[in-house]
Amino acid sequence: MSDLLLDAQQLVKRFGPRTAVDGVSFSLRRGEAVGLLGPNGAGKTTTISMLSGLLLPDGGEVRLGGQPITGDTDPRKRLLGLVPQELALYEELTARDNLEFFGALYDLAGAALATAAESALKFVGLAERRGDKVKTFSGGMKRRLNLAVALLHDPELLLLDEPTVGVDPQSRNAIFDNVEELRRRGKTILYTTHYMEEVERLCDRVIIMDHGRVVADDTLSGLKQRRTHADRVFCELVEVRDGGWLAGLEGIAGISRAELAGTRLTLHVTDLHGGLSRALEHLRRVDVVVASVESQSPSLEDIFLELTGRSLRDG
Amino acid sequence: MRQLLALIRLDLKLFLCDRRALIMLFIVPIGLASFMGSVFSNSGGKSSVGGGMGILLVDQDESAVSRGVVDAFASDPTFRVTVTNEAAARDMVLNGKRPLALVLPAGFGADALPGLFDTNRKPVITLLHDPSRNMERSMVEGMLVPKVIQAVAQNGLSADLGRDFIRRGLTNLDRATQVGAHEQQLYRSMMERADEFLATRTNRSLFGSAKGSTNGAPAKEFNLPLPFVTKAEALVKNTKGEYNGYAHAFAGMSLQFVLMSLLEMSVGLLRERESGMFRRLRAAPLSRGTLLLGKGLSYAIIGLLSLGGCFAFSMVVFGVRINGSWPGFLLCLVLTSLMSAALGLALAALGRTPAGTRGIGIAVVLLLLMVGGAWVPTFILPRWLQSAALVTPTRWALDSLDAMTWRGLGFEAALGPVGVMLGFIALFATITWLRFRWTAE
Ligand SMILES: Nc1ncnc2c1ncn2[C@@H]1O[C@H](COP(=O)(O)OP(=O)(O)OP(=O)(O)O)[C@@H](O)[C@H]1O
Ligand SMILES: [Mg+2]
Repeated sequence: MSDLLLDAQQLVKRFGPRTAVDGVSFSLRRGEAVGLLGPNGAGKTTTISMLSGLLLPDGGEVRLGGQPITGDTDPRKRLLGLVPQELALYEELTARDNLEFFGALYDLAGAALATAAESALKFVGLAERRGDKVKTFSGGMKRRLNLAVALLHDPELLLLDEPTVGVDPQSRNAIFDNVEELRRRGKTILYTTHYMEEVERLCDRVIIMDHGRVVADDTLSGLKQRRTHADRVFCELVEVRDGGWLAGLEGIAGISRAELAGTRLTLHVTDLHGGLSRALEHLRRVDVVVASVESQSPSLEDIFLELTGRSLRDG
Repeated sequence: MRQLLALIRLDLKLFLCDRRALIMLFIVPIGLASFMGSVFSNSGGKSSVGGGMGILLVDQDESAVSRGVVDAFASDPTFRVTVTNEAAARDMVLNGKRPLALVLPAGFGADALPGLFDTNRKPVITLLHDPSRNMERSMVEGMLVPKVIQAVAQNGLSADLGRDFIRRGLTNLDRATQVGAHEQQLYRSMMERADEFLATRTNRSLFGSAKGSTNGAPAKEFNLPLPFVTKAEALVKNTKGEYNGYAHAFAGMSLQFVLMSLLEMSVGLLRERESGMFRRLRAAPLSRGTLLLGKGLSYAIIGLLSLGGCFAFSMVVFGVRINGSWPGFLLCLVLTSLMSAALGLALAALGRTPAGTRGIGIAVVLLLLMVGGAWVPTFILPRWLQSAALVTPTRWALDSLDAMTWRGLGFEAALGPVGVMLGFIALFATITWLRFRWTAE
């Protein structure tokens, strides 16, 4: 059995004049957890749709276990568990009825179906509510059920499209714990999210998409090492004085930029050791008294911003 | 197969949870059909027109003949007559208080009989009518002829009138050039003998006793008969009961709401397509064909439940009976349900957005219902529409149900409509198969 579970090559998808996905390639190894990040409209959902056979690519190819998915009834689809971005549940039915319906689509029946439904309910912590209609559920509970539905047929690969979107922190944690547990059980996971901390906690690797292309595909540490970004040092000043001292700072080797907002001075430091001590020396010479110094290294968030020019979440 | 059953079970469960759908498919059609059945049914033995059609009569002549016309209408239970003047009549018709008014002009009595022979002397009866009430107009126009003839015959045929008629005929004879002298002579002598006879009858009714006869009682008038009498015989091939107007009303109304509800459900399918639901369905190893077949069958079952439920109600409460073939009736119900489901899906397959499909779909369904005769009998419609009705599936569905219920026809009478409905089902299924898109792209 090959190590490669899923392999996408040069995927292209156009909607009318708009190219939503423009030559995306990546692969997932068995047991790997990979984060798929990108701003709104980057093409994440479209990519996942092509991976799961919902959309035919206009170009490129998806191979699952070494073979392309052919046709709607390809049994290979059983390898996949899709958690759609939108809730896809029948509100008027009970949690159990929902699970039994979707399970039957995977040809589960009888005792096997009952067991699968029950264990999925337990897994997401909804066993108590199995007989309640979904419309009586909270948003977070619906999200958990949305996840449970994808687990019924015990798929090897889980495609999770923003499974924690729009839920309270408590449910988010619960869902996230579930996904971590799935990972421990050896499932291969492609995890789309707008929350960087989820990726940092869960994933070995991150794929960043923007405008339909992959702009980065690397491990977390690999990504952090790429930093072209400067560290930032925040200095709290005792009092603010006029003078050319601010411009003088930017002339110092190791300092790329200096900004003053109120009594807060922000230094963009390219050489933390030499640059920072030279800057502090300069401030002392011009009699600017520094009350405190605080430094911050670039986060994934910053890297994302730098790669895409947009922040991970709008606003 | 497992998938198919799951799809059907799903829709039935959803249907049972949907209170609105239940109301639309059971309560509303039963209520409306009960109402329409009671309006159009003859089963009570009462006049089908209920209180009678209110019409206005304006008598500007006040002759015996014009009074005879007024009396003829007034004594007919089909009408509720109000006599008034022309201005008031115009006003009431204009304001929609009455569908129409008949104005009998001055000189009507004197001219009515000569008008039969002399185109220059025809009296003009004005018919003022509400343009939205053409049905009443046709009805009154139809009734006018026998009533006027009756009135003229009773009151207008007198010896004097006859002699006047002969005089004018002889004058015309003098001017006639193309008639040979011998024939002229024969005709003249015949007419003169007739005039002699009439002269003996002056002041008497034509064939009766003398007017104002000895005892002073009005003479028994000569009554010109119509050349026929009518005897109504309702033709229903059913030995057990009689025509039950509820049968057609229930067929029409339940079909209407089945079509509407199944259209609504098909539109729901389009909505699902736009939501994440279809992504989930399609992520499973499920074929488009299985999905569509599952939807078609579950919709048909829902339709069948509704049609069956409504008919069951009509049987229990209104005594509707399957006077024809029971197997034929059940077959027609099944085919009607399948046809309705296929139509809903075909409309959804042709539509793009849910909202647009809904709008166009409702228009199509209403048109099919109207042309197909679910609301009013098709004979009221213009002829081209009646021909058009033959290509509507609704017409065949309703005909087949009528045939098996109150018409009391046998199983073989169901086969024609069943064949046509099968054709429609095949057509709609093909459209659905070719045009239904999986994705909302
Ligand atoms: N069915 C469709 N028809 C037309 N355009 C579409 C369709 N689906 C997606 N798009 C377009 O393709 C682009 C990518 O959309 P996609 O949903 O893949 O983005 P995304 O990365 O999942 O965004 P989000 O984070 O908001 O979920 C967008 O510009 C979107 O408008
Ligand atoms: Mg998305």
